[in-house]
Amino acid sequence: MNKWNTFQAGILLLALSTSCEENTVEEPEIELQAVTVENLHAPGDLMDRSTGEITEVRPFRYFSLEDNQMVEDREGDWDIGFKGTTIIVNSGSSGSGTAQASVVTGTFDEITSVPATADFKSDREDGMAIPTGSGNGWYNYNSSSHIVSPIPGRVLLIRTNEGNHAKVEILSYYQDNPPLSEVDPMTTPSPYFTFRYLIQPDGTINF
Amino acid sequence: MGCLLFPFLTLASDPICIRDQAGKPIPHAYVKIGPDKVVPVDSTGSFELPDNLEDDQLIEVFAMGFDARQILVREISELSSLLLTEKIGQMGEVVVAATRTDRSVEDLPMPVTVISRKQIQETGGMRLSEVLREQTGLQVVSDHGSGLQMQGLSSDYILILLDGEPLIGRTAGTFDLDRISVTNIERIEVLRGPSSAIYGSEAMAGVINIITKSNGQPFAASLESRFRSFSTMDLSGEASFNQNDWSVQAYLNRFRTDGFDLNPDVPGNTQAPFQATTGQVKLGKKSGKWEFRIYSRMYREDSENVLQINENGTGRLADLSSERRDLNLNPTVTYRPNEHWQLTLRSMTSVFETHSLTEMQEDDFVVDAQDFQQRYHRTEFQLDRQLENNQLLTLGMGHLLETVDATRYEDLNRFDAGYLYLQHQWDPTDRWNIVTGVRGDLHSQYGERISPKISWMYKFSEKFSWQASLGAGFKAPDFRQLLLNFNNASAGYYVFGANMVQEGIERLQSQGLVQQLLLDPSQFGALQAESSLAINTGFRWKLSNDLLLQGNFFQNNISNLIETAPFARLTSGQNAFSYFNVSRVRTRGIELDWTWRLTSHLQVSAGYMYLDANDLDVLEQIDSGELFRRDSENRTQRVSRSDYGGLFNRSRHSGNLKISYQEPVSGINLALRAIHRGTFGFGDVNGNLILDDPSEYAQAMTSWNLSLSKTLSNGLLLETGGFNLLNQLNQYEPSNPGRTLFVGAKVPFHQLVNSK
Repeated sequence: MNKWNTFQAGILLLALSTSCEENTVEEPEIELQAVTVENLHAPGDLMDRSTGEITEVRPFRYFSLEDNQMVEDREGDWDIGFKGTTIIVNSGSSGSGTAQASVVTGTFDEITSVPATADFKSDREDGMAIPTGSGNGWYNYNSSSHIVSPIPGRVLLIRTNEGNHAKVEILSYYQDNPPLSEVDPMTTPSPYFTFRYLIQPDGTINF
Repeated sequence: MGCLLFPFLTLASDPICIRDQAGKPIPHAYVKIGPDKVVPVDSTGSFELPDNLEDDQLIEVFAMGFDARQILVREISELSSLLLTEKIGQMGEVVVAATRTDRSVEDLPMPVTVISRKQIQETGGMRLSEVLREQTGLQVVSDHGSGLQMQGLSSDYILILLDGEPLIGRTAGTFDLDRISVTNIERIEVLRGPSSAIYGSEAMAGVINIITKSNGQPFAASLESRFRSFSTMDLSGEASFNQNDWSVQAYLNRFRTDGFDLNPDVPGNTQAPFQATTGQVKLGKKSGKWEFRIYSRMYREDSENVLQINENGTGRLADLSSERRDLNLNPTVTYRPNEHWQLTLRSMTSVFETHSLTEMQEDDFVVDAQDFQQRYHRTEFQLDRQLENNQLLTLGMGHLLETVDATRYEDLNRFDAGYLYLQHQWDPTDRWNIVTGVRGDLHSQYGERISPKISWMYKFSEKFSWQASLGAGFKAPDFRQLLLNFNNASAGYYVFGANMVQEGIERLQSQGLVQQLLLDPSQFGALQAESSLAINTGFRWKLSNDLLLQGNFFQNNISNLIETAPFARLTSGQNAFSYFNVSRVRTRGIELDWTWRLTSHLQVSAGYMYLDANDLDVLEQIDSGELFRRDSENRTQRVSRSDYGGLFNRSRHSGNLKISYQEPVSGINLALRAIHRGTFGFGDVNGNLILDDPSEYAQAMTSWNLSLSKTLSNGLLLETGGFNLLNQLNQYEPSNPGRTLFVGAKVPFHQLVNSK
């Protein structure tokens, strides 16, 4: 069921030698390229609409930014997880890892390094690293049109289990990343996450 | 028919009848000979000249609403009737709403327009929305009914008066103009800019005063009907009686329509079929210095519709039925001991109720049942004192009591308010006049408010005057903003009115549902009134007796706008919302009206409004680079000022062109109007909640409307015509059904009887 394909991989390491900070004279060019993940299907819990009671609990869908692939279960080496409109990180109340997240404002391309103000958090019972609810974290919910739209200008910074930094932009909540003007919340299948991300594998904070 | 003359008697003192262009006698004129001699005009519009006048003596004839006429004795003695020309553009009409005293449009230092009975008739409309949407600067917007928009502000900020008394009953802030039938309206006063200085809350963008007919004839009765597309029918009967200082006026209207459907694929109509009945009785008695009036009105409306409810992917049909009731009683006593004093005591008692029920078609399961009842009672005393002959002082005080009881509100809620207003009208010279006013409101809910206003006018000449008006407006928080207690079970969020937050949060906390408070609890519940400061300045330029240009520039700065904002994050991940004074808006623009009477049979007018309406916080965010948008591949870009289109549902350009022609041979009246509404933003599409993308605009459209009417010699009026003849449709204007054709007739029984 889970139709998803990735634009693979463009992390081009022009030089394989790892460089240390002082070695500025012959610093190798590392060109990082963003990866787009399409149609990650992460259905939310089933609910009785008249009472608000959850009738069927569904699992999160886990994803490893490091490996650019899905992770089957909660115990694996995943970084972020999806279910409905909720995005979790692998730490604290959500998992046994050490992944953390911070939500910052800006365009994806402009964020060339992790800003000093970024406040990385783990998931906790009393507050998720990526806050839930319309307008709080990554999305707006329009109560008249019923459309869930990723907030423009919100970028998720993730510190992975391995301690590398990634920037993530959620592009769409609907199947095949349609422009929002073409979304019909009654008929367009959701939640199908499309997002792009860029990971810096060398442990620095620059993208 | 008092002006019937006896042409075979040609005495020097033949009576002369003063008539309008249509030949009807003008009873309220007066005639001046020389500097100070006034000749009486009788109730039939006739007067007789005294003997021994010199041939070259100048006679001046005045009548309210008409251009004054000067004529020499030599010329007048050969006439049996004297025609006066109506002032162009309703300049001579008396307006009550602007100062709560009678004052003609051309002497008012604030922008006012009057829609006359003739214009109302010419639109061929049945409900008030159809008349108002043809006026410059007014838009009718569908949002929980047909709401008015004025100076870029929505229906919430416009006070609607019926014979000077406020009408209540709003749904989500909108006063539905379709509740008002137009056949018994004499004229409509449109007052632009804030008038909280005399009216208090809601009079922020402007005031609409609907003045119903008062017939002065001993007996009159008529029947009026219109039929039009979509099985729409409007039937009115009225009767009036005047004798021995008693007057009685009764009116009954029945309206029905099948509604229409712009989306046949979706179950249910775009506009539901509905039937409405309006009744009005006006009773008056004059007795010396006293005048007593009791006005009462009732309205009842029933509608049915079908809607589809989607549950777990399957759609099921449900019946939606709703009813609205509206009842007003408005007694007034006026005492005029002499020409310097006038004392008025009036009250308005209203009840407004709505009931709606949604039931599943298959098993009558009640999906939703909502009841709402609002009661309103106002008592007001007003004292007018004429000081010398160029100053008029008005002092008013009143008490307001309001209760509301509704399914979504707990208990019966009561509000009390007292107020005091003071107004001074001063005409220091013939060229100047100044109106200053201030009102203080003391309200049990939002405390005290002081609303000042000053307006002045300078007449550069008889032809050109400039006016300016500065005023404060406010709007009290509405019931929903105070009292709502709402839980959307399926989405898991809560909305509390400001008065319910404290209790609501305690309940959620005790249930362990609150994860984090987002605001300091000391802010909860302190909801202020929304307030505005506005300037209106413009001119009236009478290029000739037949050519008038009017312009008005306006700017409204509104702060403390009330919006929902989350105040607590819940463990479910959803939020609890309440209402807070958070945003600021500025609307500004210019309104221009051009009226040109080419001949006594042909008049052309054109109107235009430019409007710029912005959320000031959005502008600030754009300037600091904090606002973003998404492109067609959903990637983020930064929004610039040139991308921002301002507030939704506002057209930057709108206008109208009207031609009114009376064909001299057939006597057929033709009124052709083109009403243009420029492109406007209908809603957010690209996810940043503001208007900044071409896909977020609805198309501009022009509605061509035509009416043809003919009045026969016995008074019978026949009419036909249509709205939106080019059948332009816009899915974002759900009140526009497309082309609509109508026929109608008016039968004045009293004239038919008299003419036999």
